[in-house]
Amino acid sequence: MSAMVDVTFTLNGHTTSLAVAVHDSALTTLRDRLDHAGAKLACGEGECGACTIIVDDISVNACLMPAPDLDGRIVRTVEGLWEGDGLSKVQDAFVRHGAVQCGFCTPGMVMQATHLLEQQPEMSDAEVRRGLEGNTCRCTGYSKIVAAVMEVSRDAATKTAEAAE
Amino acid sequence: MDPIEKKEIVGSRVTKLDAPEKVAGRVRYVNDMTLPRMLYAKVLRTDRVHANILSIDTSKAKALPGVHAVITAADTPKFGIGVLKDNPPLKGDKVRCIRDEIAAVAADTEEICDAALRLIEVEYEDLPTVFETVDALAEGAPVIHEDRPDNIAMLHEFKAGDLEAGEAQAVHIFEDEYDVHYVTHCNMGASCCLADVDTDGRVTLYSQTQYPFIMKMDIAPSLGIHPGDLRIIQPPVGGAFGAKLDVYPNEPICVLLAMETRRPVKLLYSREEEFIVSPTRQPVEFKIRSGMTAEGKLTFRDVDSRLNNGGYTSWGATTPYVSMRTGTSHYKVDNVSYRARAVYTNNPFAGSFRGYGNVQATWALETHMDQMAEIVDQDPVAFRLLNSNEQGDVTPQGAKLNNIDLKGCITTAAEESDFLKKWQANLGQWDSPERFKRGIGIASSLHNAGGAKIHKSDGCGTMLKMDDYGRVTVITGASEIGQGIDTVIAQIMSEELGIPMRDVTLVMNDTATGPWDVGVHASRTTYIAGKSAQRAARKAREQILAAASRQSNVSPDELDLRGGHVVQMKDGEPVMPLDRLLRQMHFAGEDAELVMVSDYYEPPSEPEDENRYGDMSASYSHAAHVAEVVVDTMTGEVKVEQIWSAQDVGKVVNPVGLEGQIEGGIAVGIGYALSEELQLKDGIVQNPFFRDYHVMTAPEMPPIHMTWLETNDEEGPLGAKGAAELPTIVIAPAIGNAVYNATGVRFNHPPLTPEKIARGIWERKQQMRAAAE
Amino acid sequence: MALPQFQAAPQFEEYVNATDLSAAVAALADGQGTPVAGGTDLWVQKELPGAVAGDRLVNIKNVPELKGIAAADGRIRIGALVTMTEILGDGRLKDAAPILAIAADRFASVQIRNAATIGGNVANASPAADMMPPLLCADAAVELAREEGGAISTREVTLSEFFTGPGRSVRESNELVAAVIVPIQPGRYAGFCKSGPRPALEIARVSMAITGEAAGGKLTNPRIAFGAVAPTPIRCTQTEALIDGKPLDDELIARALETMDGEISPIADHRASEWYRRHLARTYLEQELRHVRDG
Repeated sequence: MSAMVDVTFTLNGHTTSLAVAVHDSALTTLRDRLDHAGAKLACGEGECGACTIIVDDISVNACLMPAPDLDGRIVRTVEGLWEGDGLSKVQDAFVRHGAVQCGFCTPGMVMQATHLLEQQPEMSDAEVRRGLEGNTCRCTGYSKIVAAVMEVSRDAATKTAEAAE
Repeated sequence: MDPIEKKEIVGSRVTKLDAPEKVAGRVRYVNDMTLPRMLYAKVLRTDRVHANILSIDTSKAKALPGVHAVITAADTPKFGIGVLKDNPPLKGDKVRCIRDEIAAVAADTEEICDAALRLIEVEYEDLPTVFETVDALAEGAPVIHEDRPDNIAMLHEFKAGDLEAGEAQAVHIFEDEYDVHYVTHCNMGASCCLADVDTDGRVTLYSQTQYPFIMKMDIAPSLGIHPGDLRIIQPPVGGAFGAKLDVYPNEPICVLLAMETRRPVKLLYSREEEFIVSPTRQPVEFKIRSGMTAEGKLTFRDVDSRLNNGGYTSWGATTPYVSMRTGTSHYKVDNVSYRARAVYTNNPFAGSFRGYGNVQATWALETHMDQMAEIVDQDPVAFRLLNSNEQGDVTPQGAKLNNIDLKGCITTAAEESDFLKKWQANLGQWDSPERFKRGIGIASSLHNAGGAKIHKSDGCGTMLKMDDYGRVTVITGASEIGQGIDTVIAQIMSEELGIPMRDVTLVMNDTATGPWDVGVHASRTTYIAGKSAQRAARKAREQILAAASRQSNVSPDELDLRGGHVVQMKDGEPVMPLDRLLRQMHFAGEDAELVMVSDYYEPPSEPEDENRYGDMSASYSHAAHVAEVVVDTMTGEVKVEQIWSAQDVGKVVNPVGLEGQIEGGIAVGIGYALSEELQLKDGIVQNPFFRDYHVMTAPEMPPIHMTWLETNDEEGPLGAKGAAELPTIVIAPAIGNAVYNATGVRFNHPPLTPEKIARGIWERKQQMRAAAE
Repeated sequence: MALPQFQAAPQFEEYVNATDLSAAVAALADGQGTPVAGGTDLWVQKELPGAVAGDRLVNIKNVPELKGIAAADGRIRIGALVTMTEILGDGRLKDAAPILAIAADRFASVQIRNAATIGGNVANASPAADMMPPLLCADAAVELAREEGGAISTREVTLSEFFTGPGRSVRESNELVAAVIVPIQPGRYAGFCKSGPRPALEIARVSMAITGEAAGGKLTNPRIAFGAVAPTPIRCTQTEALIDGKPLDDELIARALETMDGEISPIADHRASEWYRRHLARTYLEQELRHVRDG
């Protein structure tokens, strides 16, 4: 059996403490121990992005992140995006653009899009596509997902332009 | 109160009903579910592809702490699943392919399951193996199933007209072979099920199935229970695309473990297991021989195909129900013959996959058509138009092509893409020293657009009730699997009953509540479930308007439902609020009535007879695609630059949903053409990981220009036709033909991987060089 | 018998969260520790024999000495914990060894670039690791740290001598990759080719990096390195010597391709045949040499 280790971290703004097995991933910890099933287990090997979460403002595949490494981090998951103020801009754009079909990739896609927009609010279509390269969707063909992210990006550009005036 | 205008909901851009819940991460898929005291299950699979099982010893596994049950064939009913019932969920006597299930464990954790699997000892006696269909058909080949000594699992044959006469008329006869490969669904949510058995032995199965009602009948015998004691609930599913159109061993195994342990049991595949174990698209080797007049008119077509059936028979063996229609009936040709043999081998077996049967047939036929055009020196568009089917044609198999527009699809795709100019220009560059070469290709196909009557019924039921507040609850037999039938039904309700979509509650995906439906397949759900919903809504509307008429003394014909009110049809003048009317109808003493209606819609299609003749679908449609590519002639890498899609969709119900189906379908088709292949070596999957099995990613997807041809299908709900499969079917040969247009090298066997293309171009160069010397 | 692929994640009986380098090397001293930082390969690259050493998981992610990019003595020290994203965004590195950022952009996906560390990429010693050909071209050295007599002892090994086979290197089981060090060599030509067609998320069938001083149709002091064409990432030193400072005419390029072809030894596997790997290697080298020649 694996050794256990205590971790304390911030999960969507709430301090969370628990003991994890050292071979656990952040994903199984979130899903199986903390009832945060928004991040999906789809490949378990970092190749599809369905488990994308944001850790200390950086997007990662939760399936590859060792659970002990959660200690001291600030973790954001899809659940945290809408609690409080309703759907985030990215989430709302996904709904309106029809970027969701089966929805299994959606939480990871939304988190990665959120990360990209935080890093670089104004992006080109090609930059959005490169940024989503690690997120596989089998339903949509990506057009509507990219359109949703581009809309939020354009809004950011409009705001920048207005601020400059 | 002001007059209320009629609101057009059907045909307008509406968002998917469950999208907000999905973006919020609030939706629980089967993969996410747990039940109190739930156990986890895992399956021990064989490590060889053809062997007799001499013994299975599970005693050490059973003794492991935390293990609650270990089952083998010895503990379970002797009944096979699948189309020919040739696949026992647990194998007791022999194994026939790498997926084969030997034993299954239920334990407290997945880790304990893994440990227990390692403690099971199996002794085998290896048998001779066979992987290729030609070898399996040869005299003295290893026999996979003893009751089928010729290894032929299924035979499909059709003939019409006079092949010899067709040959006699032909000036040009051309024959070629097209082998299409194994691909797999890559559903983002891996296969998962959860079974729960109550104190009285009744089973609830949380399943990803696409055909819940037939599944009850298919799975019950392998569980030794009555189908009536089985309730199937379909929680949201992470993609299905046909992968869930049969019973596969994981589901009976999961139930059997739940029966054994009297605890809920969940069985979830790892991604690697998903690649190795879940069904594939049916691989097929086609030989097409056809003839034409000097002018290029087709005179005959003879198709012979072998399906690599693998170790067991699932829906893959039945794909000729669709591929045969394309093979005999796409383009006008009177003298046709089609033979398909599904041949047992020691490979994994195939199921159904979006575009079922037709992806394969269209690759072969549309490649073949391009080759034929070249023989008579015609461009690919003219040649196709010359041979196109037309409105009112009845195909050799009896399909009535009413309300179709194949020529319109081809012409539109060609014109929108400026096809002919580009195609002509590219021909001159084959031998140029340019490394990057541009190509353009076209393809089209025919598909059922109004279901497919392959069962006794192709119908769907709807029950509808309205409450005292003007809200409607619709209980449909249809399954929502991400495709958006929930939204389509809500649109139809909204339109017919004059209420906002938000006031529609859908109850579905549960056999205990829903009336019967044949399942999600054959591009049928909008057409058939939508039609049933519409008919139910109209019955409710009629009941409401009759009551309103009694109260208002206005004829029901002059009344309408809009904006939550009964209104005057002519000017929208409100007569009374709908909710108040419903309450008055309800609380009316002895005259009380609730608005509660039901409908079962059976489409006017017919099953094929024993001679494979019949008008199997209530509607048909076509699509044509043009693909423009750039080929790196050194690395062989293909970039798809742009796609033009022209599709006959009947009337559009939800443009957002339709665009999503076309874009998503094309993405799967591009993968089929260029990158996806489940590589097998001696029956064993070599690349069971996304890193080696490439589905399309965002940067690889080209812009897609869509044109919808709205033919008038009178039978479908508001004229709609099924549309989700054609995009996957048509794009692949368009890409193949574009690569030919760019390079002068014809690739008959997808996928057109960089290596295959680089090698083909390199060999062409060597040949040219040799010829020049 | 279960298929070997279906084995569960590795289990560890002990866990050490190292908060400084002494603690990290102490935890590895008996050779029974598996260092983990990004974790992107630990559960994935089971085929690599070096990935899991023993029963103790040593988290090195919080070791300050392994973090950051710093310049000193004409060289740049890239801490083992520096991620691909950090390499992509570092201005000094972009000037000192532009090949690294060019290649890092072709590395996996954003999420993996955010987690994968340069130290892990080196330590795994995968023959197909994307960053190795560029690092070889950048004359990189590996700084290895271990505990000796209760103190930290380090040694430097040039990257070209580091790899010994697929998943194998000269790193001892009690050693930690502490940093990768590259000399500051601004203004050198930098070319990177990797099999696609995807921009990044690909296991390379072949990757190639090439650097040198490009001027007047010549490449002086060249470096040519390949991934996935030999048991380890390799430099083609004979080819480098052949073209060093000479006019890259068609004849020399043809000889360079032949020489390179003799220096690589690709295998055939499910990702590519030997023919295709050789074909790609030739294509990439020819493309880059012509590019240098034609400017």
